[in-house]
Amino acid sequence: MSTSLSGPGSAQQTPGREPVRSGLPRKSRTARNHAPITATGLIVKVILLGLVAGIATWAAFPLIEAKEWLGLGVLAVTTAALLYLYLTRRHIPAKYLVPGTLFLVAFQVIPVLYTASTAFTNFGDGHRGTKDDAIVAIQTSSVKQVPGSTEYALSVATKGDPATGPLVFLLSDPKTKQVYAGDADGLRQLDAGQVTASSLTGRITAAEGYTVLNIGQASVRSKDVTSLIVPTEGGAIRSTGLSRAYEGKAARAYEAGCDCIRDGESGRTWAADEKTGSFVAADGERLTQGWKVNVGLKNFTRVLTDPNISGPFFGTLAWNFAFAIGSTGLTFLLGMAIALALHSPRMRGTNLYRVLLILPYAMPSFAMLLVWRDMFNTDFGLINNLFGLNVDWFGEAWSARIAVLLVQLWLGYPYMFLVATGALQAIPRELTEATSVDGATPWQSFKAVTLPLLLVAISPLLIASFAYNFNNVNAILFTTDGGPFPADNPRNGATDLLITYTYRLAFGAQGAEFGLAATVSIFIFAIVAIVSAISFSRTRKQEEVYA
Amino acid sequence: MRIRTTGVVAVLGLALAASGCGNGSSSSDKPAAQNSATPAAAGGKLVIWADDKRTAALKPFAEEFGKENGVKVEVQAVSKDLQTNFVTASQQGSGPDVVVGAHDWIGNLVQNGAIDPVQLAAEQKSGFNETAIKAVTFNGQLYGVPYATENVALIRNTELAPQAPKTIEELVATGKQLKAQKKASEILCLQSGQNGDAYHIYPLYTSGGGYLFGTSANGDYDPKDLGVGKPESIAAFQKIAKLGEKGEGALKRSITPENSISTFTSKKCAFLVSGPWAIADAKKANISYDISPVPGFAGGKEAQPFVGVQAFYVAAKGKNKALAQEFVSNYVTKPELAVALYKAEPRPPALTAAFDQVKGEDADLAKFAEAGKNGQVLPAIPAMAAIWDPFGKAEAAVIGGADPAKTVTSAGKAIQGQIK
Amino acid sequence: MSAMSTYAEAPVANRNATPKTKNRWFAQVGWRHVVGVVAVLFSLFPIVFVISAAFNPLGTLSSTQLLPTGASVENFRNLFDNTAFGHWFLNSLLLAGVASFASIFLSSLAAYAFSRMRFAGRRVGLLALLLIQMFPQFLAIVAIFLIFTTVTDLWPSIGFNTPWGLFLLYMGGALGANTWLMKGFFDTLPKELDESATMDGASHVQVFFRIMLPLVAPILAVTGLLAFIGSINEFILANVFLTEPNTKTLAVGMYGLVAGERNNNFGMFAAGTLLTAIPTVLVFQLLQRYIVSGLTAGAVKG
Repeated sequence: MSTSLSGPGSAQQTPGREPVRSGLPRKSRTARNHAPITATGLIVKVILLGLVAGIATWAAFPLIEAKEWLGLGVLAVTTAALLYLYLTRRHIPAKYLVPGTLFLVAFQVIPVLYTASTAFTNFGDGHRGTKDDAIVAIQTSSVKQVPGSTEYALSVATKGDPATGPLVFLLSDPKTKQVYAGDADGLRQLDAGQVTASSLTGRITAAEGYTVLNIGQASVRSKDVTSLIVPTEGGAIRSTGLSRAYEGKAARAYEAGCDCIRDGESGRTWAADEKTGSFVAADGERLTQGWKVNVGLKNFTRVLTDPNISGPFFGTLAWNFAFAIGSTGLTFLLGMAIALALHSPRMRGTNLYRVLLILPYAMPSFAMLLVWRDMFNTDFGLINNLFGLNVDWFGEAWSARIAVLLVQLWLGYPYMFLVATGALQAIPRELTEATSVDGATPWQSFKAVTLPLLLVAISPLLIASFAYNFNNVNAILFTTDGGPFPADNPRNGATDLLITYTYRLAFGAQGAEFGLAATVSIFIFAIVAIVSAISFSRTRKQEEVYA
Repeated sequence: MRIRTTGVVAVLGLALAASGCGNGSSSSDKPAAQNSATPAAAGGKLVIWADDKRTAALKPFAEEFGKENGVKVEVQAVSKDLQTNFVTASQQGSGPDVVVGAHDWIGNLVQNGAIDPVQLAAEQKSGFNETAIKAVTFNGQLYGVPYATENVALIRNTELAPQAPKTIEELVATGKQLKAQKKASEILCLQSGQNGDAYHIYPLYTSGGGYLFGTSANGDYDPKDLGVGKPESIAAFQKIAKLGEKGEGALKRSITPENSISTFTSKKCAFLVSGPWAIADAKKANISYDISPVPGFAGGKEAQPFVGVQAFYVAAKGKNKALAQEFVSNYVTKPELAVALYKAEPRPPALTAAFDQVKGEDADLAKFAEAGKNGQVLPAIPAMAAIWDPFGKAEAAVIGGADPAKTVTSAGKAIQGQIK
Repeated sequence: MSAMSTYAEAPVANRNATPKTKNRWFAQVGWRHVVGVVAVLFSLFPIVFVISAAFNPLGTLSSTQLLPTGASVENFRNLFDNTAFGHWFLNSLLLAGVASFASIFLSSLAAYAFSRMRFAGRRVGLLALLLIQMFPQFLAIVAIFLIFTTVTDLWPSIGFNTPWGLFLLYMGGALGANTWLMKGFFDTLPKELDESATMDGASHVQVFFRIMLPLVAPILAVTGLLAFIGSINEFILANVFLTEPNTKTLAVGMYGLVAGERNNNFGMFAAGTLLTAIPTVLVFQLLQRYIVSGLTAGAVKG
């Protein structure tokens, strides 16, 4: 990366740039190279790089302990690259970009790439893990108690150290009072005289030659306890918890030969189907535990061909744009209108207005969204009661959309009011006064002078606000939850944004379908990318005006 | 020089903040290490996940268990999407050892390999209410230890409606009369909300003749026989539509989970369909109330509420499975704990001994049990997960006046499409 | 409210209290107050509702009217006695404070580079920053579990149930959210400023910290406020990340108060909402002079 982010000397010269400017970077590099190295600068650098090295060392120990050599390698390379970057005088842009980029790559880019890769799988409920996971789950859940077998009282014991010694199950049969010791080699009877048992529970509390572990000690060795299986004729004795054991038998087992699961009792088999990631019997019956497999482009064709998904997709997309533009535009218009109204040298009390108007922005939005949802209730809501209306706000598509936008307006306009006020105050009064002297109406002077200046200052904020609202999950999830839903499609409602729609696909009550949700996300991503790329290429001109 | 110093201070301050992660964490190493797993400590650690309400009720008893056995027990609340988060976290190995939840999760948890069967001794099993054991049994295996059962019933304000209605029609007539006399503003508080509530409408659905899944020969629910979308279900929804906003106005989407109980406790409606959890609020508001089964339609079938069971599960990928099994199979099965949990939140205990113990001091309990006697155990098959959302939304649409036949048919299709 | 403002203006209007001047007063100033008052009413009425719920002893939604019907602090007391509200509050404050500070620092560094330097991949990088945000982060939860399960095993102090882990996660979004905003603002500052400083022998670090940062204070204030409010409100990631009651943030903890149909904690929820607003209002008051005074200073001068 650092090669591509080389210093300003390699700045690409854009055609049409003024010759003076294009010469500047080279000059500035010379200047920079002559910039004196200050003592404080050096100290700060040493401290910061020391900090980096310190953190890296701190992070390295657990990696070494866990023998995570790959992780250690990544850590070492990253640290070395960081040290190099800040010790060299080259790669100046990289010095500024790398800190944020590191976090971005680790916590956004990698998760996003991982998620996108699931679009080609059947990842979802019932197909989350590997085939081995599924086999373990199938075998574990088929373990049943051998009919008529004994229920033992269990004590976990060892002949060695309680923390490390090999474990032994000390078992007592509550009915016959016989006592046994069991380990992986099998069960052997103990002499009743050698052990002391609790009269209440029948559990062995002490035995000659053994150290009996109490529950606290045994719980530390949970994994050893769970994996200790004492073979018997009819099956095997396993622990259930730390004080009881039973003789059980796994009814189902995986057979590598036929790549299938066989039920020992009925003889039925379920063959592995690598296409769907499940074990299927000859008659089509599937075992519930499946695994994750690649399904190629199946999710993509499903998005395009399933009428329940592709049908509402473009409608939702259109509403999504309307919502984002509406939320941004309306808040801006209202905020600006109020800012203009209060912007007058003869106005008193603007500070008080400002403090009160900004309050909605300060209230936690997640809470206020829930409050607004209740205020829109048809029969009990404040809105209908206050204005004597009987509007079924969230029940009709358009009223629900208006309601959602109204909530967004309330939440967002104080911010726009604030920035517009700031922007207005920065516009020199002479400019507006000059136009009114020229005989322009207030509206004309606003259009010719104030608005363009406002937009220059505020348009980055508007773009950011648009991007935020485009994916504003909370605004929908906490109010309408996507509703109202058409009677014939419970998966896509009138106020659903693409993101809430995806959320429902991924986590919806019908069971998680991560693969499908990732596919829908890729489609959304592609659409947004195209739109952004087009509008972005237009900003190039605008950017050159400043630069 | 002055400028330079401020510059340095700024650099240092910002840089420290930027590296605050590493910096801060190394300084907070010690407390953090104490909070998290300390293998060097005497006992192991047991982590339990539950929703907010149960976390509060469970905490003292879980800590008691920890103290008795010299282990550390943590009860943690996941406020939203507990089931999904449990499955996802389990899958990656950062889930809890024990999770508490409704029994209809079992199908989904099992298909994801997230929970293990629990082996209870025969005499332990026989201590439980039969329905509860049946509810947590899936594919012939016991997957959880139940601690409470719950079902909805009709709770009525006896000042406004002294007599328990025998049919829905009778209820609506009384409710309308009260409304005309301005004694109440709503006929019936049965929560629906904009997206419906399958759980609360279910008694009416069954009384109208509808069903969710047929049963196969061995008594298990059969996902291949889906009742939603069948003519019976359309007939049931037609009856529900008559009670809806375009009909009698007894069922309304404006009655939501948030306001249903509080509307009843503020005496704005005489009838509330809800469960044992509503009683505490009714008592707090000094309402004189009585509990009876949810009535059915005149001449219709019996109104059967869902019977749900709250249970403890052992996570398949927990870090301390042996301890989790010990807690779930030997501690949760004690009547003392069941009674204590009942006192924290009054739901009928699933342990017969505990139920009998508290029955004497709480008449409501027996009434709820009576109302749930003919109830249907919530299906725990994975296909059930596909029901809730489409069914609820169909309900809301029908209450709002949509055509029942069209709505229910497409809900049935949506559900069918989800069941693999 | 309306009457009060009118009285405040009275001395001005009364100097020549003829009907004609009154009309003129209204045309020039009065209507502005009407707009202001209407806007204030619009802003305040949901908040008044929350206040009235917070002080309503019954604490239920349906018993709450617009105007307060009771004055009881029971909801506030319950909030502190029965929940870990104090913990949530401090966690949120700490997390939002540190995260917003760090994130504006990271993004101002990047914005400086994007605005002032020319390097290969600059425009692609900018576009990528905008696009990466468009990918729904909640879908990445599975991947985040994957990453942080390993992190928790190796370094428990920055793993699950720690504010530092969540902080790291929020830093992942630091660049995306604010760089664009800041770059736009940096662009409006005249380039001659830093060029002349460079000629005088200042290094790029000195230019950034001594010349650029003070000039962009307004946008730092705006993005800082945005980041602060954003972290206070963040729910989806925090909900899966923080499960121990004492490590939760306000958004997660308070959602738990009203989560599920079986809750009637609306009064407590409202009380918590009001308390949550306090730090935001304070931060806002602290930053507002920067925001109001100089947001477009650069733009207009340039």
